[in-house]
Amino acid sequence: MSDASFKFEKQNRTIMQRLFEPPSVGKMAPVAKVVAYTFLAIWSLFVLFPIYWVIITSFKDAAAVNQGPYFIPFIDFQPNLDAWRAQFNLDPFCDFSSIARQLYLLVHNSFVFVVSPIVSLQPMEPQICKIYLAFTNSIVISIASTLFCVAVGSMAAYALARIQYKPKFGNIMIFVLLIIAVIVVTTYAGVPWWASSTVALALFFFMARAFGRHFKMSLKNGDILFWIISQRILPPIVVVIPIYVMFQAVGMLDTHLALILLYAVANLPIVVWLMHDFFANLPIELEESAQLDGATRFGIFWDIVMPLTRPGLAATTLLILVLNWNEYLFAVFLATVKVQTMPIMVAAKNAGEKGVFWWEMCAIIVVMIIPVIIMAVLLTRFISRGVLLGAVKG
Amino acid sequence: MSYNTYDNQSGFAPAGPTRGDRWREWVDRHSGTFFIAPAVTLILIFAIFPTVYSMIFALSRVRFTGDGLKFRYVGLRNFAKQFFGSDQVHFLGRTEPISIFGTIVFIAIVVAVLWWLFRSYKKTTWVGMIGRTISAAMAIFLSWLLTASLLSGNSIGTLYTTLFYVLVGCFLQFIIGTGLAFLCSQPIRGKNFFRVIFFIPLMVTPLGVGYAMKMVADITKGPFEPILALMGLTNWVWSADAWSARFVMMICDSWQWIPFIFICMLAALENVPRDHVEAAQVDGASSVHIFREVTWPQVVPVAVTVLLIRAIEAFKIMDLPNIMTGGGPGSSTESMTLHSVYVWRANDMGTSAAIAYLLLILTVVVCASFFNYVVLGQLRKAKA
Amino acid sequence: MTDGGSRASVKFDAVQKSFGDVKVLEEFDLEVEPGEFLVLLGASGSGKTTALRILSGLETPSAGRVYIGDRDVTEILPKYRDISMVFQSYALYPHKTVAENIGFPLKVRKLDKAAIDSAIIESAKQVQLENLLERYPRELSGGQRQRVALARAIIRRPSVFLMDEPLSNLDAKLRGHMRAELKHMQGTLGITTIYVTHDQIEAMTLAHRVAVLEKGILQQLATPAEIYNNPANLFVAQFIGSPAMNVIHGSLENDQFLTQGTKVKTKVKGQVAKAIAGVRPEDCSVTSPSEGTLNGKIYTTELIGDHTLVTVAWGSDQIVVKAHKDFDGKQGDGVGVVLPPENLFIFDQTNGERIR
Repeated sequence: MSDASFKFEKQNRTIMQRLFEPPSVGKMAPVAKVVAYTFLAIWSLFVLFPIYWVIITSFKDAAAVNQGPYFIPFIDFQPNLDAWRAQFNLDPFCDFSSIARQLYLLVHNSFVFVVSPIVSLQPMEPQICKIYLAFTNSIVISIASTLFCVAVGSMAAYALARIQYKPKFGNIMIFVLLIIAVIVVTTYAGVPWWASSTVALALFFFMARAFGRHFKMSLKNGDILFWIISQRILPPIVVVIPIYVMFQAVGMLDTHLALILLYAVANLPIVVWLMHDFFANLPIELEESAQLDGATRFGIFWDIVMPLTRPGLAATTLLILVLNWNEYLFAVFLATVKVQTMPIMVAAKNAGEKGVFWWEMCAIIVVMIIPVIIMAVLLTRFISRGVLLGAVKG
Repeated sequence: MSYNTYDNQSGFAPAGPTRGDRWREWVDRHSGTFFIAPAVTLILIFAIFPTVYSMIFALSRVRFTGDGLKFRYVGLRNFAKQFFGSDQVHFLGRTEPISIFGTIVFIAIVVAVLWWLFRSYKKTTWVGMIGRTISAAMAIFLSWLLTASLLSGNSIGTLYTTLFYVLVGCFLQFIIGTGLAFLCSQPIRGKNFFRVIFFIPLMVTPLGVGYAMKMVADITKGPFEPILALMGLTNWVWSADAWSARFVMMICDSWQWIPFIFICMLAALENVPRDHVEAAQVDGASSVHIFREVTWPQVVPVAVTVLLIRAIEAFKIMDLPNIMTGGGPGSSTESMTLHSVYVWRANDMGTSAAIAYLLLILTVVVCASFFNYVVLGQLRKAKA
Repeated sequence: MTDGGSRASVKFDAVQKSFGDVKVLEEFDLEVEPGEFLVLLGASGSGKTTALRILSGLETPSAGRVYIGDRDVTEILPKYRDISMVFQSYALYPHKTVAENIGFPLKVRKLDKAAIDSAIIESAKQVQLENLLERYPRELSGGQRQRVALARAIIRRPSVFLMDEPLSNLDAKLRGHMRAELKHMQGTLGITTIYVTHDQIEAMTLAHRVAVLEKGILQQLATPAEIYNNPANLFVAQFIGSPAMNVIHGSLENDQFLTQGTKVKTKVKGQVAKAIAGVRPEDCSVTSPSEGTLNGKIYTTELIGDHTLVTVAWGSDQIVVKAHKDFDGKQGDGVGVVLPPENLFIFDQTNGERIR
């Protein structure tokens, strides 16, 4: 290309150049623009359509579902509230505003239930209705286990970022061997579990005291961190049956506490992984300064470190909340009668004798999705600010 | 002015712990233990203990009796059944007859793996060598199974169905997710709108996704019925054919999981320093060129980590096939988790635990290999 | 007026510190008088910050003992050492207001609210921050943040102050101002202060005594004037002074320093094959060519304001001379440099030791 043509390129661009080259830096070429928006539009449709289908199905009746696909309410089919009435015990003449009211009641009464141990509020129009119970269970379990999980997980993550641990490899081997011994003795010899585990625990402390000094090899913080995070690899199906037996042994099947603990452990690796990164990246002078000023380790954690990681903490909490809200496998194994959660409620609609009541199931799914979508909007804010990116970078 | 305002300042800095502070002091000195003990205890009780306990199940024949479970030790019989016995076709698929093409591919793979093992013999420590030997053994086993079943025209079992979901699923989701992220990182309007919309499927309960997809994919009452009718496919049933059923599973799984790749990769792309990109723009590089030369190398560490996380979660797939096809037709969409669940429902807890254990071994070996040979390398490169 | 109760001496007794194989401090001995302002001066990696952190208790020494007053504090937790520290980054808590930041040391000691509040106002007044108490650190300028860090350090009336390069994040003008304030404050409070810096001007202006560190070894401990006028070795001589001391390579024979065929008279005697002569720029002067002790060519001239720096090329060495501001030599002009024998320091090049 000669100098002259280079100089006048801007004015005399060919059609191809106009189509394929961006008009200026920071803009897109016309063709690229068309391609990009087409893809984005197609994908939006792909993403939104199933959700749209669930929502409109919840306003269909049996005929509208069974007689072939109808797409657009009021044109294809007449929407009605049968499904919602069935779920919320609505009177037959209610309209959309009373659905909104019922949804509000659902949230309100669940809130009342959650705070009832602390504050005595009266539930509005108390109704003994399955969905209220399930919704409340879901809220109680997911919030409680999220808070528990984030608290325990961030404490561990902080400790691993700041305190040096040197667990002896030999002691760990002793511990694992004792676990195996406890299990073998309990299952094959019929020794009660509490007796064997107490003996094993006592033995462990005794042996760690006695031999601990002689072990040379020890693990470092990185190993402990990796160990905790790697627990996420464990497929839940491996542990769910033994856990079922464990909870049965202590009479905790079908309790809130069982699910709260389990959900917390299942998500602990994620919390430790994400939070460790935040803690490790805090300027250490702040903590050293507080240490010199006489603050305790826990005081530093609570008063200095936690407020500084607030965005990360919020994002992590939201993420865990969503995961807990959606959890199904543990719930279906361990809690089916008293502490039904929302996902179980959904699945239960599939097992009806008169066929699947799709419209009712869709109504429940919609109720499940609404809070999650709100959290999704909040979470994308955090993620787009790169809040959760640090951990992924390793 | 006087600096002597508080003459009692000796109280500000005690020479040692006062008696009232003893307890707090003791707690503070042991804060290391208190910080980490809850997490470790929880994991020991609810992850390590059950994992070990599960092994006892897998080594036993378990019966329900009036007063609880009765275990009878049967050795490795529950495992052997999956490979050589009654469950072989279900778990591994049909492996006979092996075709000539399959044999050739198998031999080629074995030679390549052994060559890799031989070459790394000098480079690593003995611990690394043990790890590589395990990886190589798993690779050879999986390639034998692949060549003997799929490449020889035989049916595949739940093991390869799971791997199909993981490998093909991860690949597809990664390509599409990264592509979308790249589009969204370009100067387009409504970025935040797309970001939120594309993210939502990840947040929907997998169970809800299963039922929603079952409705959408319904060929007589679902929304695609008119399209199928137009194409004259009224008699076509995706759930009757093994591969079409698996592909439908994967599309539905992708609907949920592409957002995960998308959101992570978008964050990574947007965190590439602006001045790097701008320098390339000033140099006159095209946007494809900039992506390949400037942006991509910087997001590779994130990409491989995201892939690893996705793969770990993908091994656990269960809800979708359970809801949409019940594992059918036959057992062709059954993942290993689902296989284990169905066996458990048939009250064979020992075999169920054995299958779960095999899934654990498969997951750990595949993920650990990927982590060690790919992710660690990338992370080291990024740090250097 | 000074606070008698708050003074304490500090003593390092053969303190060693190594991180893995890297020795950061070797046999470090140092005694600091009560009420003294001592500056630890050294380049980065010299071990000065490690020494300070060992004293604060944030690091434990590999060997040796540390004393504050009569108390052996080697194994005592930082909070019981009765010290306070100002960090290079100030370490202000971004989520707390200025008042909360200043009051933090008292709050963790569980004093009652009223006492804390009055103490906050008291120490905020000392650093002229009383109008900014409700602000957050991000709303303050660099100098103001520095003051907050100081106020937080003095509120407790510790027996020892530790400062880790507290002025290095400020711009040059503010640094000069804060230096004066710091010195005044230390003078009035009379608290023993140990101050770490790499900036020799800070060291010279602030310190009662300066301890120069290099590679974990204490090179010299003396008053600023002594360090300047009588450096113990080549390292100290070159580290102190701006522009740095001139270095001329050569050899020493009796009382003659031989460099590139020229003989320079010295005050010291000895036989050193590889010697270095050091002379400060302000001690030399320029004369007309062939009249100086050494005769070279002008490499470049820089007008500083009240004087001109003339760089003269002498073989492979360069000699900087502080000349009158009206000096008008051009690059390449021949020129003579006068080196007065009484201001000539001679060092052994092999170990850097001063030959006296």
